Amino acid sequence: MKRNGEPEIRVGFYVCHCGHNIANTVDCAAVARYAATLPGVALARDYKYMCSDPGQELLRQDIQEHRLNRIIVASCSPLLHEHTFREATRKGGLNPFFFHMVNIREHAAWVHTDRREATAKAQALVHAAVRRVAHHQALQTKRAPIHPAVLVVGGGIAGIHAALTLADAGKQVFLVEREPSLGGHMARFDKTFPTLDCAACILTPKMSRVGSHPHITLWTYAEVAKVEGYVGNYEVTVRHKPRYVDASRCVGCQDCIKACIYKEPKFPDTFNAGLSKRKPVYLPFPQATPQVVVIDPETCIQVKTGKCKQTCLEACVDRRAIDFTQRETLERVTVGAIIVATGFKTFDASRAPAYGYGVYPNVYTALEVERLVNASGPTGGAIVLRDGRQPERVGIIHCVGSRDEKTNRWCSRVCCMYALKLAHLIKERTGAEVFNFYIDLRTPGKGYDEFYGQLLEEGVQFIRGRVGEVTDWAFMPEEEGHLVIRVEDTLAGYVRRIPVDMVVLAVGLEPQADAQAVRRLFNMSCGGEGFFLERHPKLAPVNTFTEGVFLAGCCQGPKDIPDTVAQAGAAAAEALVLLDRGYLEQEPNTAFVLEDCSGCKSCLPLCPYRAITIAPETERAVINEALCKGCGTCVASCPSGSIGQNLFTDQELFSEIEGLLAPAAAT
Amino acid sequence: MIEIKRTIKYETDRVKGFGREVMSVPGCEQLEQCIQCGTCSGVCPLSIYMDHSPRQVMALTRSDFKREVLSSVTIWLCASCYACAAECPRHIRITDIMYELKQRAIQEGVYPRRFPIPVLAREFTRMAQHWGRITESLLVLRLLWRTNWLEAFGMWRLGLGLWRTGRFSLRHESIRQRADLTRMMASVDDVVIGALPPPAANHRRGAR
Repeated sequence: MKRNGEPEIRVGFYVCHCGHNIANTVDCAAVARYAATLPGVALARDYKYMCSDPGQELLRQDIQEHRLNRIIVASCSPLLHEHTFREATRKGGLNPFFFHMVNIREHAAWVHTDRREATAKAQALVHAAVRRVAHHQALQTKRAPIHPAVLVVGGGIAGIHAALTLADAGKQVFLVEREPSLGGHMARFDKTFPTLDCAACILTPKMSRVGSHPHITLWTYAEVAKVEGYVGNYEVTVRHKPRYVDASRCVGCQDCIKACIYKEPKFPDTFNAGLSKRKPVYLPFPQATPQVVVIDPETCIQVKTGKCKQTCLEACVDRRAIDFTQRETLERVTVGAIIVATGFKTFDASRAPAYGYGVYPNVYTALEVERLVNASGPTGGAIVLRDGRQPERVGIIHCVGSRDEKTNRWCSRVCCMYALKLAHLIKERTGAEVFNFYIDLRTPGKGYDEFYGQLLEEGVQFIRGRVGEVTDWAFMPEEEGHLVIRVEDTLAGYVRRIPVDMVVLAVGLEPQADAQAVRRLFNMSCGGEGFFLERHPKLAPVNTFTEGVFLAGCCQGPKDIPDTVAQAGAAAAEALVLLDRGYLEQEPNTAFVLEDCSGCKSCLPLCPYRAITIAPETERAVINEALCKGCGTCVASCPSGSIGQNLFTDQELFSEIEGLLAPAAAT
Repeated sequence: MIEIKRTIKYETDRVKGFGREVMSVPGCEQLEQCIQCGTCSGVCPLSIYMDHSPRQVMALTRSDFKREVLSSVTIWLCASCYACAAECPRHIRITDIMYELKQRAIQEGVYPRRFPIPVLAREFTRMAQHWGRITESLLVLRLLWRTNWLEAFGMWRLGLGLWRTGRFSLRHESIRQRADLTRMMASVDDVVIGALPPPAANHRRGAR
């Protein structure tokens, strides 16, 4: 094939067996023979592993020996090896964009069973590539700078750890937390398994470091409202909710709380899972970071009606920190990367009606008991029932809202271990007889199974059986006045009725209620269960399908604190890779405006990257190459066909289609 | 004196393929998913009388212990309240599997002959298919006759009470066009009354 004024097209064609992956379904030798008959093909080979070093070397040598000027490899997905072969083409002395890849593994071998038809399809795809590649032009990649700041969304242990890691490396970090304080779920725990260190003792130092770190801008009581831009250059809009307190003036003296018009706390304290009361003005918990009070707009009389005596204002007259004129504000920041660490919510136990949560007052969720056990909790650490009695017999039911087709199918991973921890704490503090009802005990982790062994020694009872029901209907005299757990002891082989004073439901972990909205905000994907989807379950566990957006903690799936911290560190490292390289290699697949643009401006609002402007002197559209991501929307929408795109020119695409539709070859 | 029995199971005690066969019946497939959590036994109101708990019946079925399952009293005690199926975390239709096992026990002729539940089921269907209606007094008499007729003497007071309140009619109930019913039943699911396993023969065999 020869075109006017240009050198003869000499295509080198290679088809890869990919071991058995392709060769089992596609007759690779036949594909190579077919390719050799096509116009312009100077050389056609089949090879077992093109991606291997000898395979790449073969390609490089052939370019020089056979004076090839176009290369086609028919193998796996470009996602895997396009880069490899472009590099090999470059080493052979050609512009890497004279290379084209045909995916005959995912598109033919793996999706077909009929060898003859799969081979025919592979040949059609190859024909398309041969036609297309003749029109390829030499192109250059471009580099875009990366903004050296990171947004961390969520101030639980995952967000805290990721933010500190990045800030310690000298990067500017914006940490956005929805609640009035940092800490997340971990701040509400008493002890952490299996070592039983105090959660607050290990968490609060990190919280205050975040609060005082020179490289961290901490925004609590704020949410991400909008994300625009792309990797290296995300424009993030953050919404600050009004807390009616000037954070720069409040010192956390809490005089306003004492002065509040409500003499007694009256409203459920969400931090204590509703087990205690708080006033409309409150500090979330003693170690809250920042140490700034909040005014709850739902309950404060002044915010609701504007008709309060404002005794809090009088108490704060020196500092004038309380400000009822505060309104929601928006703030914009530019960051190079985003770490999403938005956490989880616990399963709503009333969705499992057989266990009587919300019906019997002495049925608690694990998070409620976690607060009961805690020294700063509603009872000052005393484990007592709602009527003030100390329980003598406690039943802990595992897998509530986990491993259940009716609610959540997945194993929540942490419940076995936290149930063991609570069993230990309850036994230690009250001397009660504690029963654990489990389906399977899952204690894989450093020191975890040893902890289980310790509990067996302590005399905690383990009954293998999922509880059928919790009831107050007594059959036997000893059951009067107690809750009765009906369960099959599957190891002993008996159905048993066990009277207890307190039932603890080890509730599972779920995606946050607004996970879908957050997913859309950051352009991520969700798995079937609603947790954010990692790019690869094994090899890219903290990456998402969106470049520059990383995951940490339970928003990606249930995990315990050690795993969360490890993942947060990994996400921080991935963000550092981007930031420290400082630039981004971009595909040259940008769009460009042709001569005959009429300046109709219809492409302007369609561009998701705001890369198109109108040049005042010519009144024609101009595309900023640095901003264009090659999505092709403007190309398709231009009414006069005046926008083209590198690597996807009309000539290339039409030739490809012609090749695809050309009469099939005889094999 | 302690009676010592060998309780071990050998491979020859299994009827290989039995579990697969049960699980291939529409509605019973989910048994493959059983995690042996015991929720079924935990909620079953009758599990306290069973020789094998519902969970054990599931395990025995899946492991091909056909004889043990089909001779278990559990499948006959099942009152079809569906609590197990409603609560099962794996959506296993345990009650339906119990029905499947009951049917197989009848086909194999291994069910307990004088146990009221299968007898009642058989007499009920026979009467309904033959007369189109149920005469409850007659049904109860037949049930007692085929199980333990001595019990009738202890129940006369209850019977009298039921008769007085009109719950227990002595009139023989029947529909008018019984031939139509027979034809209908035959065409609905190819069941011809004559093709049912002969109950009388079964009964005699069991009585021996």
